[in-house]
Amino acid sequence: MNLKLLRLLALAGCTLPAVGYVAAQATPAPAASAVESRSINDWLMRMHEASRKRSYIGTFVVSSGGAMSSAKIWHVCEGDQQMERVETLTGAPRSIFRHNDQVVTFMPDHKVVRSEKRESLGMFPQLLQSADGRIADYYKVKQEGAERVAGVEADIVLLVPKDSMRFGYRVWTEQKKGLVVKLQTLDTDGKVLEQAAFSELQLDAPVKMDKLLQMMGKVDGYRVEKPVLVKTTASAEGWVLKAPVAGFKPMSCYKRPATANPAPGEEPLQWIFSDGLASVSIFVEPFDRQRHERESSLSMGATQTITRQLDAYWVTVMGEVPMATLKLFANGLERKK
Amino acid sequence: MNPKNTKNTKNIMKPSMQTSELMSALADGQLAGEDFAAALHASRHDDSAVECWDTYHLIGDALRSAHGARSADPAFLSRLNQRLAQEASPAAAPRPVQPAVQGSPAVLSDHRGQAANDGEFRWKLVAGFASLAAVSAIAWNATGLLAPAAAPQLAQAPTSAQQVVVVASPQGPMVRDARLEELLAAHKQLGGTSALQEPSGFLRNATFETPRNAGR
Repeated sequence: MNLKLLRLLALAGCTLPAVGYVAAQATPAPAASAVESRSINDWLMRMHEASRKRSYIGTFVVSSGGAMSSAKIWHVCEGDQQMERVETLTGAPRSIFRHNDQVVTFMPDHKVVRSEKRESLGMFPQLLQSADGRIADYYKVKQEGAERVAGVEADIVLLVPKDSMRFGYRVWTEQKKGLVVKLQTLDTDGKVLEQAAFSELQLDAPVKMDKLLQMMGKVDGYRVEKPVLVKTTASAEGWVLKAPVAGFKPMSCYKRPATANPAPGEEPLQWIFSDGLASVSIFVEPFDRQRHERESSLSMGATQTITRQLDAYWVTVMGEVPMATLKLFANGLERKK
Repeated sequence: MNPKNTKNTKNIMKPSMQTSELMSALADGQLAGEDFAAALHASRHDDSAVECWDTYHLIGDALRSAHGARSADPAFLSRLNQRLAQEASPAAAPRPVQPAVQGSPAVLSDHRGQAANDGEFRWKLVAGFASLAAVSAIAWNATGLLAPAAAPQLAQAPTSAQQVVVVASPQGPMVRDARLEELLAAHKQLGGTSALQEPSGFLRNATFETPRNAGR
């Protein structure tokens, strides 16, 4: 009896201060705990929404394997319409305009304009809300404090892959609304492969959508090219992946008619996979002894590439994933029986 | 352009300074309505206006192009050659444009035949890829690609369709394949299926868009 009471008292003695401690911690800092409890989907949704709601002008810098390129960015949102203008400051001069999923690229040095629709730009909600909850299955989120980037306070969020099949990301997201102001792609050891960031950012800048639309449509004196893409399926083209690569789902498949560029032979088939954050393209074209001499692998910043011969075909696999993952795709591809 | 200038340029006997201003504005696409009509009128009736027009375009091309102005107007080139012939000492100066002066197709094609990089087309590619090289660190580990035995073949610009291009990179000269560039561009255009595409991926790809049309 005595012993029982003693045990009860001891238990109470332990729990009460603990409860008190938790209560004391929880009440004064509700904001902090909200940040802590954000799921990976919450974070990604917030980043995405911010890009659809904020207008800004900024300078964007991409550094990849020791070299750097930069562009000036204008971004404007009106209702559910979004518009972006990118003027490259390095390399060949390019003006790229994006109106929702419509992208127009001006190449003044060649007097050519490329006009195209990018379906991938409209895919976001499906990537998060598919029934199998994909992104959260393969990545976990970890907050790493805060830092100031391009003059704004940003939370640092780490998207950590749960296996070694994909790269990780460190994202700086502006504290008020969640705009992504800096992004690092990290290899499986956590080393930075590539970094992209605003060096200067003017939020809520007075950008006029109608003015950008007018510039986007000003193609006088340019030859307008519209890449001809035919939507197809890998299966219809006679290809299968004998073993799926963990987390990667086929997203789309295209071929370009040979007439578009007759010289190098038939244009390749492009089969696109994504795990929600990283994407991989498998290109298949007829094997040509003259052009396809050596199987090789190539690494450029975050983008990796490998090539291999498969019977009468030449396969190029490319993506922002580790080389080992690309090998699984390259070796898993086979002709449908 | 102010209205006063416009009135004057309608008169065929105008000072040439105003013609050049008008042509400058026309080349910049800044003219409309009456000014535009006046500029067109001047270009029909005044040789100096046409000359201005050509010159401004050449200047514009030189300023805009990362690869330098190429393909000058033949008339311009012949005028340039005339003046060079008048000014320069016979040995040195006119040499770069000599084929045009002589107008000898045989000499021209002979030169082209010897060029390791097959004339303008390949150089254009090299220029295009050099700009890509500036944004990406490149590491080939293709078996034998960088082996000494392979180098002479590349230097001779093989007759095969493969456009292997040597570019400078932070890690030294590297070998690149024009076809690979096309695939990389296609991957960036269509393969950007990511939850981070709109917040960041699109900007990343646009900021270092590959010179996909470099060879066209």
